[in-house]
Amino acid sequence: MAEPETDARRIAEEARDRARFEEEVLELSDQVYRVARRLVPTREEAEDLVQETYARAFRSWRSYTPGTNLRAWLMRILTNLNIDRGRREQRTPDTRPMEEGDYFLYNKLEETGQAQDEERIVERLSQDSVVHALSNVPHDFRDVIVLVDIGDFSYQEAALILDIPIGTVMSRLHRGRRILKSELAGATVGGES
Amino acid sequence: MAFESICEKCEELLQPYLDRELTDSERREAQAHIDDCGYCAKRYHFEEDLRQFVRQACNEPMPPELKAKLAALRTEL
Repeated sequence: MAEPETDARRIAEEARDRARFEEEVLELSDQVYRVARRLVPTREEAEDLVQETYARAFRSWRSYTPGTNLRAWLMRILTNLNIDRGRREQRTPDTRPMEEGDYFLYNKLEETGQAQDEERIVERLSQDSVVHALSNVPHDFRDVIVLVDIGDFSYQEAALILDIPIGTVMSRLHRGRRILKSELAGATVGGES
Repeated sequence: MAFESICEKCEELLQPYLDRELTDSERREAQAHIDDCGYCAKRYHFEEDLRQFVRQACNEPMPPELKAKLAALRTEL
């Protein structure tokens, strides 16, 4: 009667693998929430999105290949769910002018006397203004900033998660950061944004 | 792209510089300019600080109740 024994062992191994997978996924929850919170407008929506992501991840645990990038796998579920939730109905046209260069925000702070020769000029900005400015960045650009600058994903990982070419990740990131600075300048020193 | 000045070119190199995307020769060129130019050095320093600040400002801790809800989604053994 070797077969039932083999089956029992297989079931036990699978249960162990699953439990280990779930533990590993749960260990990433702080990082997942940090990203989710900036992808959607409210805390409630972020909490719902994270819960849905975890419910789906636990259900589809067999589709994860052990040893591959679990964090990116999880984040891909989250961004797909976010798209499914209908947030993407109105796509942002990629026509926003980009005349401000990368020195724009510093120059604005300097013009208004807020950038003196001090160490941490950046602290003249308020945390709220940063959060608000980021929420005003069109989502195609914001998603990349959130993944790379807040979630610590590489360009390659962000490309995989968002299913876009790596060149698009880089151009959106570059442009998104400029839009963010422009928004910050508008909010902080009343410049045009 | 034609640049009016070295500082303008340095401004264009700021993001790829901080992202470590420049070629060795571009990086050396940018570095040599920053070492010499207080105007650009201040702006590069500011950009580094800004990235760090954005990261900190946007780091909202996960509510403990959510953590408990996620743990409850685990499969019962």
